[in-house]
Amino acid sequence: MTTYIVRRLIAMPLLLLGVITVAFLLTYFTAADPLTSIIGERQMNNPAVVEAARERWGLDRSLPERYLIYLGNLVTGDMGTSFRTRQPVAQDLMVRLPATLELVIAAMFLGTIFGVVLGVLAARFRDGPIDNIARLFALVGASAPVFWSGLLVLFIFSVQLGWLPGPGRIDTRAVAPPFVTGFYTVDALLAGDWAGFRSVLLHLVLPASVLGWTVTGIVSRMVRASMLDVLSQEYILAARAKGAGPLRVLIHHALRNAMLPTLTILGFSFAYLITGAILTETIFSWPGIGSYAVAAARGLDHPAIVGVTIVGGAAFLISNLLTDIAYALVDPRVKLSQQESS
Amino acid sequence: MRTGIRTILLAGAGAAAILSGPAAAQDQPLVIARNLEINSLDPHRAFCDTCQIYLSSTYQGLVKLAADDRSVEPLLATEWTSNEDQTQFTFKLDPDAVFSDGSPVEAKDVKWTFERLKNLQADPSFMMNGVASIETPDEKTVIVNMESPNSEFVGILAAPYVGIVNSDVASENGAMAGEDASSADQAETWFLANSAGSGPYVLDTYRPDDELRFRVNENYWGDAPPIGEIVIDHVADAVSQAQMLQSGGADIAMQVDPDTASTINSPDITIETVPSYNFIYVMFSPGAEGGDMLDLEVRQALAYAIDYQGAIDFTVGGEGELQASPIPNGFPGTEGLPMPEENLDKAREILASKGLEDGFTLDITVASLNVYGVDLTLLMQKIQQDLARVNVKINIQPVASAVWREQIANPGIPFSARFYAPDYYGSAQYVQFFGMLPDTYWERNASGQGKVDLVNKSEVDLFQQALAASGDEMNRLYHEIALEMIKDRIIVPVVSPNLILAYRSEIEGVRYSACCNLPLAEIGRK
Amino acid sequence: MSAAVTRNAGRRAMLPQWATLPVVFGGIIVLLWVVVGITIPLWTPYDPTMLAGGRFQPPNASHWLGTDALGRDVLMRTLYGVRHSLPIAALVIFCAVLIGGTLGAIAGFVGGLVDSIIMRLVDVTLSFPPILLAMAVTAALGPGLGNAAIAMVIVWWPIYARLMRAQVLSVREREHVEAAIAAGATRPRVLTKHILPLCWSPIIVNATMDFGQVVLLAASLSFIGLGAVPPTPEWGQMISDGALHFYRWWIAAGPGIAILSIVLGFNFLGDGLRDFLDPRSK
Repeated sequence: MTTYIVRRLIAMPLLLLGVITVAFLLTYFTAADPLTSIIGERQMNNPAVVEAARERWGLDRSLPERYLIYLGNLVTGDMGTSFRTRQPVAQDLMVRLPATLELVIAAMFLGTIFGVVLGVLAARFRDGPIDNIARLFALVGASAPVFWSGLLVLFIFSVQLGWLPGPGRIDTRAVAPPFVTGFYTVDALLAGDWAGFRSVLLHLVLPASVLGWTVTGIVSRMVRASMLDVLSQEYILAARAKGAGPLRVLIHHALRNAMLPTLTILGFSFAYLITGAILTETIFSWPGIGSYAVAAARGLDHPAIVGVTIVGGAAFLISNLLTDIAYALVDPRVKLSQQESS
Repeated sequence: MRTGIRTILLAGAGAAAILSGPAAAQDQPLVIARNLEINSLDPHRAFCDTCQIYLSSTYQGLVKLAADDRSVEPLLATEWTSNEDQTQFTFKLDPDAVFSDGSPVEAKDVKWTFERLKNLQADPSFMMNGVASIETPDEKTVIVNMESPNSEFVGILAAPYVGIVNSDVASENGAMAGEDASSADQAETWFLANSAGSGPYVLDTYRPDDELRFRVNENYWGDAPPIGEIVIDHVADAVSQAQMLQSGGADIAMQVDPDTASTINSPDITIETVPSYNFIYVMFSPGAEGGDMLDLEVRQALAYAIDYQGAIDFTVGGEGELQASPIPNGFPGTEGLPMPEENLDKAREILASKGLEDGFTLDITVASLNVYGVDLTLLMQKIQQDLARVNVKINIQPVASAVWREQIANPGIPFSARFYAPDYYGSAQYVQFFGMLPDTYWERNASGQGKVDLVNKSEVDLFQQALAASGDEMNRLYHEIALEMIKDRIIVPVVSPNLILAYRSEIEGVRYSACCNLPLAEIGRK
Repeated sequence: MSAAVTRNAGRRAMLPQWATLPVVFGGIIVLLWVVVGITIPLWTPYDPTMLAGGRFQPPNASHWLGTDALGRDVLMRTLYGVRHSLPIAALVIFCAVLIGGTLGAIAGFVGGLVDSIIMRLVDVTLSFPPILLAMAVTAALGPGLGNAAIAMVIVWWPIYARLMRAQVLSVREREHVEAAIAAGATRPRVLTKHILPLCWSPIIVNATMDFGQVVLLAASLSFIGLGAVPPTPEWGQMISDGALHFYRWWIAAGPGIAILSIVLGFNFLGDGLRDFLDPRSK
């Protein structure tokens, strides 16, 4: 166990270097000259302007030179300057990361709650109609493209019914809460801005539900499977025999034991959430990493593409590592061997 | 205990209700929904439509474009004179003018601004083309010497990109104006968080892809603007903008297209349609790979085969105007130009005389872009159907705009579509971009970087004269040039889309301006 | 789920064991789409890129799903869309299996430095969130369905490489392989004749389950403007058109339901197969 974790930890920096290298190389071999995203059409024929831009953005240097400079700067936290926003990429990402995390955490929260409820119901009424409906609901969530379900819920709940606000993180007229954590919910609370907090929460509901729906299936499947596992075990049968009500058995004994594996599965859902967040942010004009990545990819904003790919890769690596470790920790065989040795 | 919690909850809810209730309307920020798409907020690097709005509200030029969109009015300069041959311009600065930090606007700021604009070698630098030297005989006088005549120079000075910057403040924050400015200047990031002009507003905050927030300039030397705080909220598409307008989340929506406007049906919202100076054109490049059959006669024939009115109906639902030459309607020299004409018989006749009655095939690329409400791919598909009537088949390959810009230079694209919006009020910019003068953007690209000779000698001569002329004589010369540009049949304008101004009816003073898009300081609440 | 399988199987003894309700349901959906894709030019006279009527018509008798901004029939474009989505998905999966399978087999069989190099490449590629990597690749290559397909192959091959390597490693320990080596068979022969034939089945099952994900990713890339370019009737591209006019809900409805149904079909298939193969359904 420990050697496994140590080995994974040692591999991390190497993988990270690989991620950086691949991301950097990819943008070097682009089909279009990045200058077209820096200089306007009118000045493309002006050699003085083209020369000045090449020099200013370091495009006149060779690939190895640029790579080494980039690595050197990266160590100091400098990821270059975005062609598009003209701000340091690291600064752009710092401002946007909390927006994405807030959305992803809210989605995970909603997805987990729904997933657990569905999983418990499905296990309780196994193979019955409720089981099948729960399964269908989860599968549809995993199959529906979020860029379409997002449009659909916007159209229904915001345009037609007017129950919830449309795109954005906060009411347009409200001033964003002063930056402390970058999480608008937390910052609004810290500032004691109740109206702002309410607005932020309401703005979160639609995108977080759409995004959360995609992981409902993963969670409910896990809960259902482990509940069935637990329910068939002896102490549950014993509890039942002692006269504990079915609901009490379900919640108190079975669900509690099913929660641990469920928590670890959430790590796996991170990949889904990253994918989903990129598309959800586009639909909901959410100023997070996802919409930043899309704008960068569309606009050939190389420093931003490299930056966002590195950050995404790093986040993915870390979450995979944590998940694997957590999984190893709760794996029954591992647990058994630990108990034996202690 | 329970009551305690309930009281707290109720108190919280009450506070929320009070805060979210209708605050005093005049104190509320004005919200404008718009796709931000800002390339920079550094006045001498910025070059975008939103930049025009931003710069013209936070900075001021020596002169400004009047509300008639034609004449030039005093702004920081109270008066100006030029010598006989349009090579020397003298400006007297307003003694009252101050920057947002309270310091006076002086001749040294003007000199510094012009030099930085020129030396940064960025997108708007061409506005200082031909400036030889700048003299500052005293604190309130500026003399600009040109290398050659330029009758439009004063007009150019009304462009938002030539707004005068507080040179002391900017220099302290890394801005340079010297000849090495293009590599030495470090101020672009600073300009994203600060403005240093004398305009009615100052920059409050800018968050890319989120919002651009203005607050009123406390030290403004003119009449204070009606609205104290303005937010341009980033809303990418027309439908979302319209939705925000209807729900009251926005006061003005700037990019609502005719299709979307037709779905808005509310007494609270005013929708105005005004002609714009933007236009969409198609162009022929006989020097491009696969474009060798496109000689003047064939270009003429294909221009006859286009259904211009149909294209306007099709792309912008009829909300657009025909445009004769690459100089937009209303600019100097455009009065009375012959509008493009659809004439299938003539088209067929010309093609037959060339032995091309069975047509030919053109493989073309077009940028997949939606500009000013026109989808370029969609427009190309319409023209594809038009040209099929004279047996000319075009295969359309839509590509990213950046890819298109590479291809148009090399290997060239025989036939494609593009757009243009004015950078200032004046016709010279169009001749310098579209004219068949040596080394203009389109002379280079249409000729395949010189593979075929497209240079039009009379355009060259007429333009020389136009730059040295003024008043009616200048208008007459640009008219002549426009006629020559029509005859070239390289650039064929298809539609000048109308602009839709959609705003809540309690808002007043919303106006489209040729230089500055939307003059923010004129907007108020009824 | 194992209980469900056995119970169903017991009830309907004539059906094979894998034919559970989800598998049958998913199979029918997928089969319908395949049939539509193959036969559609035979029974529709329209060209999906050409005008069919007025612009922005809501669903009506002659245009069941209405028309879009160009007056094209949304239903027709939706049905034609499958001719892009399914072949792309098939191509991507095929290439990913071929490349990943080959490299994985070599890594597992040869071992040593070759194994290390290939597997580190796999590790690095798998370190990216799939969509981010695909976006970076398409941003580099430029938009277009072909480039999107290349990007997706780059995203998917490592999964099969890992799978194949694990298979080869386990099969090569078996007795018959050792016997073949002892009998003096050449190494390539041992790999192709004695090992590979036993490795394919889990890969094929996995490929089936990935089909839906590929369709979804292809549509996602088109939606954000990095995949198919107009006027291609590609579903993601059509939804992004619909998003521009989203009060006219029907423009996005057709392609949205199409993606949902086909991905759901594949997920049902995959889900059912997984239940059958791995009753504990981890």
